Amino acid sequence: MRHTFIIGRRVLAQLKGDTRFLVLSVIAPLIIIYFLKLLFDTFPPLVEVKSFTIPISAFIVHFLSFILCAILLVQERTRGTLERMMISGFSKTAIIGGYTLGYFGLATVQAITVLAESIWLFNLNYDTKTVVLLFMVIWLLAIVSVMLGIFISTFAKHEAQVFPFIPLIILPSVFLTGLVISPDGLPVWAQIIGKCLPLHYAVNIIHEIIKPEYKLTDTLVDFGILTGYIFGLLVLASLSLRETE
Amino acid sequence: MNAIEIVNLSKNFGKIGALNRMSLDVPEGTIYGLVGPNGSGKTTLIKALVGSLRPNSGFAKVLGLDPLKDKWELRKQIGYMPQSPALYDDLSARDNILFFGKEQNVPDLHQKTDEILSFAELTNRADDAVRTFSGGMKKRVSLCCALVHNPKIIFLDEPTAALDPYLKMLFWILFRKLAQSGVTIFVSTHQMDEAMLCDKVTILRNGEILAVDTPRNILHRGKTKLKIFDNHEEKTAVIDSTSENLADELKKFGLEKNISSVELQPDTIEDIILSIIRKKEKEEKS
Ligand SMILES: Nc1ncnc2c1ncn2[C@@H]1O[C@H](COP(=O)(O)OP(=O)(O)OP(=O)(O)O)[C@@H](O)[C@H]1O
Ligand SMILES: [Mg+2]
Repeated sequence: MRHTFIIGRRVLAQLKGDTRFLVLSVIAPLIIIYFLKLLFDTFPPLVEVKSFTIPISAFIVHFLSFILCAILLVQERTRGTLERMMISGFSKTAIIGGYTLGYFGLATVQAITVLAESIWLFNLNYDTKTVVLLFMVIWLLAIVSVMLGIFISTFAKHEAQVFPFIPLIILPSVFLTGLVISPDGLPVWAQIIGKCLPLHYAVNIIHEIIKPEYKLTDTLVDFGILTGYIFGLLVLASLSLRETE
Repeated sequence: MNAIEIVNLSKNFGKIGALNRMSLDVPEGTIYGLVGPNGSGKTTLIKALVGSLRPNSGFAKVLGLDPLKDKWELRKQIGYMPQSPALYDDLSARDNILFFGKEQNVPDLHQKTDEILSFAELTNRADDAVRTFSGGMKKRVSLCCALVHNPKIIFLDEPTAALDPYLKMLFWILFRKLAQSGVTIFVSTHQMDEAMLCDKVTILRNGEILAVDTPRNILHRGKTKLKIFDNHEEKTAVIDSTSENLADELKKFGLEKNISSVELQPDTIEDIILSIIRKKEKEEKS
């Protein structure tokens, strides 16, 4: 456990050392959401846009956490620090745990700022309980994204190889999970693919939470599945993270 | 006791045989040099010994332990400096050293870090990001990371490659001091003059060992050109580079009064190592 904290602290220190990276990863989602606001303002007033804003915010955090974490970890491999960490005695679980912990900090900041901006820009009047629950969903999703990033990074030999995974994993999330269109009209096979993607469950929960008649019990299963993704990906990541060539 | 034992170790990358049935022993407390041209398998061998590479066949024991099966036990006792600096650019020199040292439970890590930074002449840059360092400075930080936890055996992959001559000398003085205190140092280099500073040298080429010997004996494998000026007439002879040969050769001349000077041009260790490698190349071609 101590080792996990050491790595987590180091990841944070590293992020702090790279100010430009840090500012970009916090500011970029805010700018995208502002563009979203401009876009939604062009829609005729009859279109109900409010139910899309929070899922899209969640998606932005999902996407950024995934890509940043994957690239940083691939960088560790190409620079040889991953090998050095392992030979210095850090275990695979400590490395994965430490990365999650480090990104946890960044993901928390992202989740808070993104949620705050959406609520303010779109004049969403949710009560405190709803806001806290929304925050929790985005946060859980961010951890899933970090795990996914670690898992995917084990398939990439250098940074550029991370990019093909964007269309492979991120774009289906946009179209098949109910983010912009309800998946009910899609062919069954596409619905099944959508149901394999973690964003599907996060979007489901968010849609439920913002309903006035929401009860926590309605979403327990989806919350469970989202948490399940964390453990599932943790196992997959620790299996695929290789110690030897 | 042997710090390292290697028996028939082989590693292939597809068709390339990076290590071919290699066997060697490294006694404890020695500076063991691994000399060879680019692509001869130095890095591959070191990686197999620290447990970051799985050999195809054969086995290696480091401090009596298997680098893969007993990795947790072994990792506490080894230091490793990879060929590339392998540092976090956004962290300071001090934070890099502290990070890699923390895992090892060094009792006085902060003090040790200060000491080693001052030895590497980095004290006044210790808190700057490594990103702002020169190539040689990064090498120095990387070496500090490999030494900070007082390992029993240290694997150094071309540690002095980008260092200026003065620092290179300081590092070799440190290696010698460590070896005298019982630490085993396994160091690769392609700078032949450094072979002279080792206790024993293995010459590698294409994953094969061409020679294992002390630097002194390797020097004796070379030739010395002897120039004698007899009444200003130059006479030369090429003899084996051993002290006995020189005496014999001089006796022929009788060393009379009119022999005003004797000049010796012994092969350097670089000449000899290169000729060992070249000889093998010729053998393979014919
Ligand atoms: N990951 C790899 N994949 C494929 N081939 C490799 C890999 N690593 C090393 N090799 C091959 O193995 C051989 C030995 O390489 P190695 O890096 O051990 O040489 P070296 O002696 O360290 O050379 P240098 O002085 O350039 O560092 C080379 O032919 C190289 O091409
Ligand atoms: Mg090498």
